[in-house]
Amino acid sequence: MRKVDLCLSSEGAEVVLATSSDEKHPPENIIDGNPETFWTTTGMFPQEFIVCFHRHVRIEKLVIQSYYVRTLRIEKSTSNEPVNFELWIERDLVHTEGQLQNEEIMAHDGYATYLRFIIMSAFDHFASVHSVSAEGIAVSNLSQ
Amino acid sequence: MVKLAAKCILAGDPTVGKTALAQIFRSDGAHFQKSYTLTTGVDLVVKTVPVPDTGDSVELFIFDSAGKELFSEMLDKLWESPNALCLVYDVTSEQSFNNCSKWLEKVRSLAPGSSLPGVLVGNKTDLAGRRAVESAQARAWALGQGLECFETSVKEMENYEAPFHCLAKQFLHLYREKVDAFHSLL
Ligand SMILES: Nc1nc2c(ncn2[C@@H]2O[C@H](COP(=O)(O)OP(=O)(O)OP(=O)(O)O)[C@@H](O)[C@H]2O)c(=O)[nH]1
Ligand SMILES: [Mg+2]
Repeated sequence: MRKVDLCLSSEGAEVVLATSSDEKHPPENIIDGNPETFWTTTGMFPQEFIVCFHRHVRIEKLVIQSYYVRTLRIEKSTSNEPVNFELWIERDLVHTEGQLQNEEIMAHDGYATYLRFIIMSAFDHFASVHSVSAEGIAVSNLSQ
Repeated sequence: MVKLAAKCILAGDPTVGKTALAQIFRSDGAHFQKSYTLTTGVDLVVKTVPVPDTGDSVELFIFDSAGKELFSEMLDKLWESPNALCLVYDVTSEQSFNNCSKWLEKVRSLAPGSSLPGVLVGNKTDLAGRRAVESAQARAWALGQGLECFETSVKEMENYEAPFHCLAKQFLHLYREKVDAFHSLL
């Protein structure tokens, strides 16, 4: 099986929900494969976004590029709908002034159809997410 | 066009008029409460403030707490991660003005990042004969602390919107600054 970045709009991934949005920095920027574009939170925490893969995938490695994110919680679901999320990973990130956070997470039990990213807290009033990539394989299509 | 959300802390000594200010702002000038009921716990007033000439707006979540809680740990939890500060004193009470530095210190210690949009509001200007804090004195202190300065009479419905509009503007400005910083990361 071919390993790909599952978290790209060009691979069929989609952001189906984001709690905050500035028209100029929409959540689609997270999965467009370009770390120069980003999604911003627009005040107060927690803030979250949900990525839909539109198929069953198995994720082996996650890389999140962000700024000012402090506590990040990642939940996943294997349902056909964005329900039944289970806590998967929780991380406290470090902040380095002027430098993008580059959080690499080796994943266990990475079967998912949806991922939900919750920014619980931040180092400043606002945070940005520049890209999320999920290395892994597509397992099967969703049953109708 | 963006709609921001800000947790706005109303701080200051008991009876300076925090609740009166929040309520008159919430009701667009329709509701001034003459009798004093001290606040217990926290009241939340939510109001969206458009920022002129931008198309942008800020939804203010105004946390109105009790002035007698200055040293209580309850406020530390309640006020966690504030985005803006509206610091109120009573122009007829020198003590309420002197305590502003304590309130400011408390709220700043809870703020995320290094900057916190803030305004200083001298209330009850209608009681001109009993004034104990001169405008110039307040302005000088506010300037040193990086706070914008206002005087209001909630009773006379004077100038009660300006502090909140100023906070919304400052918060939008901060957002734009941060977005510029996000752009320059790569
Ligand atoms: N003369 C005058 N009285 C005012 C003004 N604003 C508020 N008051 C009165 O001052 C008293 C106290 O006002 P509150 O708004 O309850 O004071 P507070 O700061 O919320 O007090 P705590 O909840 O105990 O912290 C009330 O009787 C109000 O009617 C004003 O502009 N002028
Ligand atoms: Mg009150």
